[in-house]
Amino acid sequence: MTRWLKENLWRHITGVVMCLFALFPLYLVVLSSFNESGSLQVTSFIPKDISFANYKVLFNDERIPYLTWMKNSLMISGFVAIVSVIIGAASAFAFSRLRFKGKRFGIQLLLLIQMFPAILALSALYVIMERVYKFAPGLGIGTQMGLVLVYLGGAMGVNIWLLKGFVDSIPAELDEAAKIDGASAMQTYWQIFVPLAAPVLAVVSLLSFIGTFNEFILARLFLIEVETRTVAVGLQQFIGGQFSENWGPFAAGSIIASIPIVIIFLSLQKYIVSGLTAGSVKG
Amino acid sequence: MLSGLIRGKVALFIKIALIALSTAVLLTLSQSAFAKGEYVIAGFLFIVILLVNYTYFSKRTVPLKFFLPGIILLTAFVLTPILYTLVMSTYNYKTGNYISKEEALGRIQALALEQDEDATAFDIVVGEYQSSPAILVSDINNNAYFISTPEQRIPLDKARVEIDEYQVAQSAEGFTALDSGEISSSDAAKKRYFFDGTYFIVVENLNVGAVFRQSLEYLPEQDVFRSLITGDIYRDNNNGNYVNENNKDDFLEPGWRDPSWFTNYIRLFNDERVRDPLISVFIWTVVFATLTVITQFAFGLLLALALNKPIRGRRFYRSILVLPYAMPSVMSILIWGGMFNTEFGAINEILGRDIAWFQDPTFARVAVILVNLWLGFPYFYLVSSGSLQAIPSELLEAAAIDGANPRQIFRKVTLPLLLQILSPLLIASFAFNFNNFNLIYLLTGGGPRNQLDGEIAGATDILISYTYQIAFGNNLQDLGLASAISVLIFFLVASISLYGVRKSKVLESFS
Repeated sequence: MTRWLKENLWRHITGVVMCLFALFPLYLVVLSSFNESGSLQVTSFIPKDISFANYKVLFNDERIPYLTWMKNSLMISGFVAIVSVIIGAASAFAFSRLRFKGKRFGIQLLLLIQMFPAILALSALYVIMERVYKFAPGLGIGTQMGLVLVYLGGAMGVNIWLLKGFVDSIPAELDEAAKIDGASAMQTYWQIFVPLAAPVLAVVSLLSFIGTFNEFILARLFLIEVETRTVAVGLQQFIGGQFSENWGPFAAGSIIASIPIVIIFLSLQKYIVSGLTAGSVKG
Repeated sequence: MLSGLIRGKVALFIKIALIALSTAVLLTLSQSAFAKGEYVIAGFLFIVILLVNYTYFSKRTVPLKFFLPGIILLTAFVLTPILYTLVMSTYNYKTGNYISKEEALGRIQALALEQDEDATAFDIVVGEYQSSPAILVSDINNNAYFISTPEQRIPLDKARVEIDEYQVAQSAEGFTALDSGEISSSDAAKKRYFFDGTYFIVVENLNVGAVFRQSLEYLPEQDVFRSLITGDIYRDNNNGNYVNENNKDDFLEPGWRDPSWFTNYIRLFNDERVRDPLISVFIWTVVFATLTVITQFAFGLLLALALNKPIRGRRFYRSILVLPYAMPSVMSILIWGGMFNTEFGAINEILGRDIAWFQDPTFARVAVILVNLWLGFPYFYLVSSGSLQAIPSELLEAAAIDGANPRQIFRKVTLPLLLQILSPLLIASFAFNFNNFNLIYLLTGGGPRNQLDGEIAGATDILISYTYQIAFGNNLQDLGLASAISVLIFFLVASISLYGVRKSKVLESFS
């Protein structure tokens, strides 16, 4: 018994303390989402009466088009997730398997470009998209399609590191055999690589979904109309006034918005952890 | 399944259909861009069309077939903005100097008006006369009426004018009044109407016109403005403004964005109003990123060590511990922001204090580090426990046989090995936090800052949020300076990351 204590007690204490630290804000949000007074306060750690008023506000109040925000977020992130993985997979395949001049230079340039603080190109992006808006009002500043295009601009750089690792893990013998049988690079790509990598591509695309869902600054710059906003921007603007009465609906809203992301994350944990050690940092 | 379908003729058909579709869309866009005068964009789109068609129909462009969509989007939305930022960093480009020189010339001339001494104003009606914009003017004091076009003034006989009870002319022969909708859709209200050669009438509002004269004259040969009143000469100072030769502080508004070469960069080091805040922000950025990495790593490693044995409840601990990392970070940061609120936040309530967390520099900094610890420790817990498993157990056993106690084993064997394995990740995390804009912007907004002094740098501002304030903040916006700092940040982060990349040998795998 004492030996068990000596060996394991500190482990449990550390685990419990850190779990409490991890849970504390999350528990508070859940608590205040069911609390009608709606501030991030602890009236008591055990809820006295559970009220769904904040959730009702979220779905009925006209000032908060929450469902539209959720829909926007899911649509934008979903679209970017799919297209960016298509672009990224093709590039990763080419970088991994094809021989061509300037490959090393290309990958170094890509790495370098990624190091430029993207936020600081904001004003330039704004100017460009303002001009695009003049001749194509569906694509420029203030539109979701414009935002999606800008996100896709980064698609090649962001996913390629993750994908490259996965591509390298697919044995090269397979596509070498295809090559000997007379398959072109395109055929190898579509008939050998894509079917083999399909599960991996799905994972990467879900990661890209999480990343886009989390993006804030560009979405804030682009989505001016309340109806076009993503859930992150919408909720941030909503509590921007710092009125305590808004915290209840905010808490409810952030819980609902987080659920899909947390579920995706937890179900992908295995892949994400192996991706982490390969040198990526989640944004 | 899919690979069986996409074969031969079907594949060819899909390919041609896709290329035709994208060509059609791009061509339409290119045309409308051209029609609106956006020649650069139109040209870019046209080159894209050529590239798409060449790449996908030629047999010699195999690698490009895979890269082209990515490269086009990268060029349009990442590379071009970066180059634009580089160019801007060599310009005097700030509030008051936003527009081009041509636009500035036009605005200066339009704004250079001086009212006559008596501040004469007339009742007017805006309309048309002989298909030219015109105003019907009632000079009630002199009991005179006339029509003014931009070129001439036509006196009217009072008998031929319809006058209302206030002696204001409402209509005249040959003059058609415009309603307010027609006026706002034409430029009739922006014209200068003839008065007496020197002076002209400007439409102040739909019923009132006032008499002005031009106060500045532009002399294109010398590229100077001459004051028609004092005779002073305003000369281009090569820094985006026309400045009075006799008085350096007297310059004409607005200025324009002017190439200033390395002025913005020199200001970073020489102008103490720029340099001093920059240095303190830089120091805090390094402190913030370092403390973040150390705390996140320390707590993550502690957990990894604690849960490195198959103790009871390990899976349960683990599933809770990853939650902060699984949550969308934007939401978490906003939630923490609410918890630190002075009046209704949970933290003050638990502590039983009234701390104004985000008004005090030290407390704000502590809060930032604490929140970032919460956001990031699960990451280091996950990677540390992965790496702990990668350390060969023979090493630890050998150390134990040699008589080392657990503490010694950890300090002399486990930790050095872990640091070696994880150093690329530690460096990457440092680089990431060096630019962790979301955290600062959403939690403290960079504050607290002393706004009364016009201070732009706040106590928790890191370089990137500080630069954002300079470029887009509420005070004077200076895009030129902000771009110069961006370039500086780029070099800093690039050198940190390149160091990390070298360590992790990522690049080698590409050769």
